[in-house]
Amino acid sequence: MSAGIDVVLEYLKAKRPDLESIPDDLDLIENRVLDSLGFVNFLYVLEEQTGREISMDEVTPEDFRTVQAIRRRFFDDAVNAGH
Amino acid sequence: MTIQLESGDRLKQILDRLVEMSKKDYYNPYQIFDWPESLPEHQYWMSPELMSVHGTEAAKDLTEEQLWAISRWESINFYSLNVDGIRELITEIINRIHTKEFEVSSEYFHHMVGEENEHMWFFATFCLKYGGKFYPDKGIKLSSDFTGPAAHFMVFARLLMFEEIVDFFNKKMGTDERLHPTIRQVNFIHHQDESRHVAFGRQICSLLHSQLRDTANAEELAEIERYLKLYLRKSIDSLVNPAVYRDAGIPEPYQFRNKVLADPAFKELEKRILKRSMSYLISEGILSDDELPAA
Repeated sequence: MSAGIDVVLEYLKAKRPDLESIPDDLDLIENRVLDSLGFVNFLYVLEEQTGREISMDEVTPEDFRTVQAIRRRFFDDAVNAGH
Repeated sequence: MTIQLESGDRLKQILDRLVEMSKKDYYNPYQIFDWPESLPEHQYWMSPELMSVHGTEAAKDLTEEQLWAISRWESINFYSLNVDGIRELITEIINRIHTKEFEVSSEYFHHMVGEENEHMWFFATFCLKYGGKFYPDKGIKLSSDFTGPAAHFMVFARLLMFEEIVDFFNKKMGTDERLHPTIRQVNFIHHQDESRHVAFGRQICSLLHSQLRDTANAEELAEIERYLKLYLRKSIDSLVNPAVYRDAGIPEPYQFRNKVLADPAFKELEKRILKRSMSYLISEGILSDDELPAA
């Protein structure tokens, strides 16, 4: 699924072209890469790349705080198997 | 923040009139609707011109059966958005009713909450009876909100924009003879009630924003404008739901959505939906132009 997270990363970079890069541990919420009003469009990119619909009952803002958190929560199958 | 009496005099008169109209037009929603067991699938459930795909390249190769299916699920999405929007509206009004700041409007708030509760009921009934579900709200709260007077303004501005966008559809679908009578009735009745709520929303937004202009600096006013434009963008984009296309049997629903959002025909629909609101927001000095950020 590495291609999927790369697409997600490209989407985030396109949203904030002023940032030179988006490190794995950058706080996406604090740095306003992700915000409440733009979230749904981001979620659809994530759904498309993971191939499954994401239920909002099963996620928290922490799942989207960093690229690392997104990768772990939505792309790492071994971890997801535990959810 | 208090709603100053001198600037609120006109608001008070309008509120008194709206309360009287609410009393006069009161109806029992639990009794007036005809809810047939099912609605015919082989026809449009939305006015075709108001569908997200209308006139787009993406729709060129679709059969009429596929368009009927999209109209069916897109209408369930539209009413689901109404249920979500009304939940927010009722919550925010209840948070303010009979507080000192909103003393002058509390009597009318009772009517609004009551009417909105009833709207939510008939929209929810439609979704569950004819769609068997709601499309869930995919939003999440990530960023901190405004505080103080800016927060009050933003709440009423969001509610007004929500109501005006919805009303664009209700007004047309309420009298569209191509639609089933139950669909017309739901839209027509909502349009009737919303005209009062929109009248109130415009008055209070204009008043709150004029008070904000006296106290907020240019940077704060620019941030309010930026946020409001993002809210309008989000509201328009939420009318185009990939789950609708998936349920209508359209392959690659996410890519299909992206194509629709980027299509000039959809941009045209967006302009029509927002025309009345943009004109109001610009004339009141709330927005400086009608350019929304990209999706």
